[in-house]
Amino acid sequence: MRNIRRRTAAVATLATLALALTACSSGGDDDTSSDGASGSASIDAAHSKGAMADFKAGETFKASEPVEFSMMYRDHPNYPVKDDWSIFEQLKANQNVSFKRTDVPLADWDKKKALLVGAGDTPEIVSVTYPGQETQFVSGGQLLPVSDYVQYMPNFEQKIKDWGLQEELDTHRQADGKYYILPGVREVPDVQYSVVVNDAMWKKAGITTDPATWDEFAQDLQKVKDANSLKYAMSDRWTDTTTLGAFLQYVAPNFNTTAGWGYSNTWFNSDTKEFELTGTTDAYKQLVTYAAGLVSSGVLDPEITQNDDQATQKFINGQSAAISGNTQEITAYRTKAKDAGKSIDMHMIVLPDGPAGNYLPGGRLSSGLMVSAAAAKDPHFKALLQYIDWQYYSDQGIEFAQWGVEGTTYTKGSDGSRKLAKDVDWNGLNPGASKQLNADFGYSNGVFLLANGSSKDLLQSVMSDETKKWTNAVLAKKKLLPIQPAAQLNEDELEQTSLVDSQIKDAVYAATAKFITGQRPLSEWDKYVSEIKGLGADQLVDTYNTAYQRAQDK
Amino acid sequence: MVTETSAPDITPDIAAVRPSVSGVKDTRGYATFRIVNAVVLTLVAAITLYPFVNLVAKSFSSEGYIAAGQVNLVPRGFNVTTFNAVVSDPMFWSNYKNTVVYTVVGTIISMALTTTYAYALSRRNLKGRGFFTGVALFTMFFGGGLIPNYILVANVLHMRNTIWAIVLPGAISVFNLLVVKSFFENFPSELEEAAALDGMTTYGVFLKIVLPLSKAVLATMTLFYAVSMWNSWFGAFLYLDKKDLFPVTVYLRNLIAATTGAQEITGSQDNAVQIGANVQSVTMLLTVLPIVCLYPFVQKYFVSGVMLGSVKG
Repeated sequence: MRNIRRRTAAVATLATLALALTACSSGGDDDTSSDGASGSASIDAAHSKGAMADFKAGETFKASEPVEFSMMYRDHPNYPVKDDWSIFEQLKANQNVSFKRTDVPLADWDKKKALLVGAGDTPEIVSVTYPGQETQFVSGGQLLPVSDYVQYMPNFEQKIKDWGLQEELDTHRQADGKYYILPGVREVPDVQYSVVVNDAMWKKAGITTDPATWDEFAQDLQKVKDANSLKYAMSDRWTDTTTLGAFLQYVAPNFNTTAGWGYSNTWFNSDTKEFELTGTTDAYKQLVTYAAGLVSSGVLDPEITQNDDQATQKFINGQSAAISGNTQEITAYRTKAKDAGKSIDMHMIVLPDGPAGNYLPGGRLSSGLMVSAAAAKDPHFKALLQYIDWQYYSDQGIEFAQWGVEGTTYTKGSDGSRKLAKDVDWNGLNPGASKQLNADFGYSNGVFLLANGSSKDLLQSVMSDETKKWTNAVLAKKKLLPIQPAAQLNEDELEQTSLVDSQIKDAVYAATAKFITGQRPLSEWDKYVSEIKGLGADQLVDTYNTAYQRAQDK
Repeated sequence: MVTETSAPDITPDIAAVRPSVSGVKDTRGYATFRIVNAVVLTLVAAITLYPFVNLVAKSFSSEGYIAAGQVNLVPRGFNVTTFNAVVSDPMFWSNYKNTVVYTVVGTIISMALTTTYAYALSRRNLKGRGFFTGVALFTMFFGGGLIPNYILVANVLHMRNTIWAIVLPGAISVFNLLVVKSFFENFPSELEEAAALDGMTTYGVFLKIVLPLSKAVLATMTLFYAVSMWNSWFGAFLYLDKKDLFPVTVYLRNLIAATTGAQEITGSQDNAVQIGANVQSVTMLLTVLPIVCLYPFVQKYFVSGVMLGSVKG
């Protein structure tokens, strides 16, 4: 009796196991080659429901039968999602695509994303994910190695090739040689941030041209301070969570380093072909010395814990003559000044050169999306990839996501220039219009537009003339820093380094703040370097170099 | 030894207090004390009240004055357009309604579970009393962790996108349970015995004798549960995927939290949100208002309720 029972149990277990195994292997196709070569997997007919038979680059995607994709939707408070948005209706009518959305408020976007992926509830499309953010999820097995399937995405392949992005894309390969993110791709680098200056105050100091170098900028600030008898010539914002987060980020490339928001612990030295700890390099010291000089000479407000509103108030009230800004914030400054009954002429300076040259941070990949591993088991898997390819990477798809429907939300002139419809506004392009392109129609929406990952033409089509002029001036002047190669850490190394990494990062941020504000003299730099080493900097850098060598030797 | 010598020192003080109550003139020391007391307490009240008054002022001010940092106690550039704008957002009201529903249902469930659980635990003749108390206490110190919790509620119990995911997990607050339990423990057993002798069942005693005589602690606990339910957003953030199910706290959080933080991660403009400071103020004001209105009426129970059971013995 007992024997029989045991045998039954064994058979049952085996059957379950077999079932589980078949279930695992039935999806898409799992026997991908281990060398990680792109496009090695194929999709069979069982997973091609709704897919187009011969989908090519530049062709309009339309599913052969209605398909519904699940999507984690990043809900933006500026344009709260509405079910009856034109973008959803258009996609349903023209592409046969509809969505089962999980709406996640922007405020908790990253947390909820981690939760859903961690709990194994990953929707097919996980929108708005920055390259690098996917790494934490890879070992959980919830994400699709999209590099295996790029042959189903002709537009993506074409954009990567045409815009020369392969090298940068390769830096996002994981230890298994595959990448798990579909990034937003940009034809031209992203330039948005610079210093906004109060024109009247700078004219009073006799300055009419933008500074050519950051040193000249420091001298200009001194002149402006004296001429207007200001306490500080510049009082910066975006500094409450990371000291001078924006300022250091846009100055850093010209010192050949990263800092502020853009800071990363590891810096690849292209001469020695080795990783170094960014915060202890000479270049970083030079940058910190520069910023500390601004504070010690009294031109930069040492109040580095002030919030954005406080800094903006100082700028608007005329207590300071310069503040960090970006192409959209400058409009906000103008509006706020106007509301406060002041008329201030201001402009963004063209980013000056630094001692290391004239650079922008390398990198033209922006926020993109992830696809769940489970999607490969869905009957409409192929259609999903085709839709993603069309929506995010085809010229037609990105134009649709940005501008909407020709004749309804915009009109196109014979020279190809686009114009918003009379009653539609976006970002102040059509002031006074009653409807918003994003809030009322769902276009120009970061979920479908990949943070402006798009062509130069399309990006500039929505810029004001002022911004366009500034952007072109910066682009014409600046070169891109070489792309930092990826070390391709394996799972153990990732786990090891992640703890040390944030610890060191915090210490570097804290010390940077103290050096800049003068609470700690720069003569203590060597002591600081040994402190950082004490936190495991050498171990971190060694791990990176070992992994990098291993990847190179492959 | 020490207590003996200090005891006489206290008595004159008390004696000094008594005459003042009965209208006799205060001693000079006591008068000074009262003045200092009044000044300090007024200051504390002013400091506590300021942010709220400032919030009210901002809700009715124009964006320009707020940006220039010129709004303190009185609205400047008075207008109600923001007020109208927030009030006319249907999502705000539908979320507001959700909050009311979640709070009412959640509080009823919490109170039902807490009082019955506490009453059972307060009976000294309950078999396994230590065990049942231990079960509750255990949860105070150990939890399953975020993701296991999520999997339990969302995938095992299938409560995702339902009101139950909001009101059931955490329906019993162990702290509140213990307060109610010790309140019940101090309940005069003679009353219950008398009722039992007259033929009442345990449920009868609980519902008709114990509960009606425990209004203070019930009011306090109701307030505790209602306020924490009103303010909570985390459960909704975890288990709700649809906007029209969100409580107003999540709506508010999205409005406020998005303006900070997101920038740092990305450094990109796409996530940088510009929500007017006055929109935030109006929303905060409307959200906090019901609780502010409710508090003064329950406050008298509040103090007595929490203290009850703690000092008796």
